[in-house]
Amino acid sequence: MNDIVSRYLEQFVAAGPDAGAAPPWLREQRDAAMAQLRKHGFPGPRDEDWRYTPLKPLAGKAWETAATGAADIGGIDDRLIAGLDSHRLVFIDGVFSSDLSTTALAQEGISVRPLSVVLREDAGALPDTIRGGIDARDGFQALNIAFARDGYVVDIASDSKPDKTLECLFIAATAGKAGQTRNVVRLGEHASASLVERHVSLDGVDALVNCGSRLLLGAGSSLDYHLVQTMDSGVNMISDTEADLGADATLRILTATLGGAVVRNNLQVRLNAPGGHCDMLGLYAATGRQHVDNHTGVIHVAPHCTSRELYKGVLDQRARGVFHGRIRVDRGAQKTDATQANNNLLLSANAEIDTKPQLEIYADDVKCAHGATVGQLDETALFYLRSRGISADDARSLLTFAFVNEVLSEIGVDALAEYLGEGLARRLIQHG
Amino acid sequence: MLSIKNLKASVEDKAILNGIDLEVGAGEVHAIMGPNGSGKSTLAGVLAGREGYDITDGSVTYRGMDLLDMDPEIRAREGVFLAFQYPVEIPGVTNMYLLKAAVNAVRKHRGEAELDAMDFLKLIKEKAALVEMKQEFLYRSVNEGFSGGEKKRNEILQMALLEPTLSILDETDSGLDIDALRVVAEGVNKLRSPDRAIVVVTHYQRLLDYIVPDRVHVLAGGRIIQSGGKELAQELEQKGYGWIEDQAAA
Ligand SMILES: Nc1ncnc2c1ncn2[C@@H]1O[C@H](COP(=O)(O)OP(=O)(O)OP(=O)(O)O)[C@@H](O)[C@H]1O
Ligand SMILES: [Mg+2]
Repeated sequence: MNDIVSRYLEQFVAAGPDAGAAPPWLREQRDAAMAQLRKHGFPGPRDEDWRYTPLKPLAGKAWETAATGAADIGGIDDRLIAGLDSHRLVFIDGVFSSDLSTTALAQEGISVRPLSVVLREDAGALPDTIRGGIDARDGFQALNIAFARDGYVVDIASDSKPDKTLECLFIAATAGKAGQTRNVVRLGEHASASLVERHVSLDGVDALVNCGSRLLLGAGSSLDYHLVQTMDSGVNMISDTEADLGADATLRILTATLGGAVVRNNLQVRLNAPGGHCDMLGLYAATGRQHVDNHTGVIHVAPHCTSRELYKGVLDQRARGVFHGRIRVDRGAQKTDATQANNNLLLSANAEIDTKPQLEIYADDVKCAHGATVGQLDETALFYLRSRGISADDARSLLTFAFVNEVLSEIGVDALAEYLGEGLARRLIQHG
Repeated sequence: MLSIKNLKASVEDKAILNGIDLEVGAGEVHAIMGPNGSGKSTLAGVLAGREGYDITDGSVTYRGMDLLDMDPEIRAREGVFLAFQYPVEIPGVTNMYLLKAAVNAVRKHRGEAELDAMDFLKLIKEKAALVEMKQEFLYRSVNEGFSGGEKKRNEILQMALLEPTLSILDETDSGLDIDALRVVAEGVNKLRSPDRAIVVVTHYQRLLDYIVPDRVHVLAGGRIIQSGGKELAQELEQKGYGWIEDQAAA
């Protein structure tokens, strides 16, 4: 794989130093990330964190990062979610397209901008956590830091709330390209927002999406964040989401994976001050030879925080799933209340799931519960439905839907819940 | 309407039904009684199309059709209804959704237009009132957390909605309080008509005071060992099954 890294290095050098557009700190970050990638390369199958997920589709090829200027893909009407009234930024292969985006928001206290614009015009506005030195978690994150030139930057001032759902739509459109984006969401004290980050693709494209988001929640703020992926079966994806919660902040985060080839979602939530709460919801539906890997972690740094994690997956045909759920409770985090559940439905004898909780508890006065299940559709329930006139196929889809509905019903954006419900039905109910 | 001839069925090589013969004509109500484990639910399950049984011999004809050759959903659409001895809980599927899907599946099969939300709501409210079921139960997951009696009532609600031609009630009376028993019986009696038939499986004569059967059969050891009029049920209530089993053995 060294060969791949040197190809990336060539690309890195060829891309040049952003024609002077990048602030010095960012150039430093990129150089450091590239150096890190050269030194450590990409993770290998011996890495405990990558034991169950094939790396070749992700790291076996030097994807080209799209240059500036979004590719022309015609319209996006058929890619919108019916009934979702959103303020929308659109990115093609990771490059912002102002033509396809809605016009700038004119609401006081709310700023939703592409990273490329912020870097050009207002780089000082980026939070310190973004501008400081960054130690990339692994080769993919290093790659992202070295190459990403766009993404979204959302700033919600204290006590403010956007009057619409914010939507960031990423479209993988060109074969061989890597859409690499960095995103930042910052909520001031008692601010709130609902954001949908969506990844779709054109049909038949093989590409890579490598994206990273930092969510910074001020005291008392509340964020509903949805990472929704419905790409074609040729696109591989790595997402890396890190959230930091202040006192009494609430994060509800949904990671929904319906499409893609090999998909790895990293999620890390840190509860840094008392009173924080996070709901981590996950939904994955995979079929064919899809591979979906969710690596999640919640770190209770401060006392009196709660976290609740519920991931549900449906795997059909030869699909594989991986769930890794880490809960760490630091020494000072007394009165932590953390729960974790991962439930899986296997619709085929060839589908597989590896599910693993990892609890690291260093405080003594805490409540931690976790559980994982793997099962098939309930035959008795299937017969019950059929005995009422419902066809075997409909009965199966009804029970499958009932299984995931526990997650769907918690989604605050109704149009999104409906869209996901329909997407699931389309994807999974192709039996018989 | 229903003609069962020499029906034999087994589960995992264990013979459970050992040659059942039963004729149920249109307009008739038949009661099947018999000791625990004698095969009553197995018979009901075989008629409704439950999987897992090997039919080793015999035939079942329903309105001229080979019933055993039909998928469970086709049987249901053709008017066969089984009220389960143990109704199944289905978390995440609302009662309302199930009922609507069921009604529309049957209507579609008959070539009728599917009911829209408004018409369905009207129909369901009427039927829920008939079985004295509170509307909140319609919006709960199917049978989830229902008490034993509520589950049975829910079966009758489904029956009332689907208006089956052949209803098979497997111990729908077990676990019901007196009021619920009356409600269930009324629901069943409302369905009685010259072109419908009803088979009730029960352990208690009490139900048969409300739903008066034309014929009573005793099922034991996977066979019908005695048949008679409604007075047979009274005799069983007094004397138990021993005397018939002895007679049959002799
Ligand atoms: N799936 C199965 N596997 C093994 N044995 C079975 C199965 N289903 C039924 N049986 C057996 O077949 C016999 C008949 O069972 P069935 O449920 O039909 O009895 P029943 O007459 O309905 O009894 P009850 O009055 O208690 O409801 C019992 O001995 C039962 O254990
Ligand atoms: Mg029984």
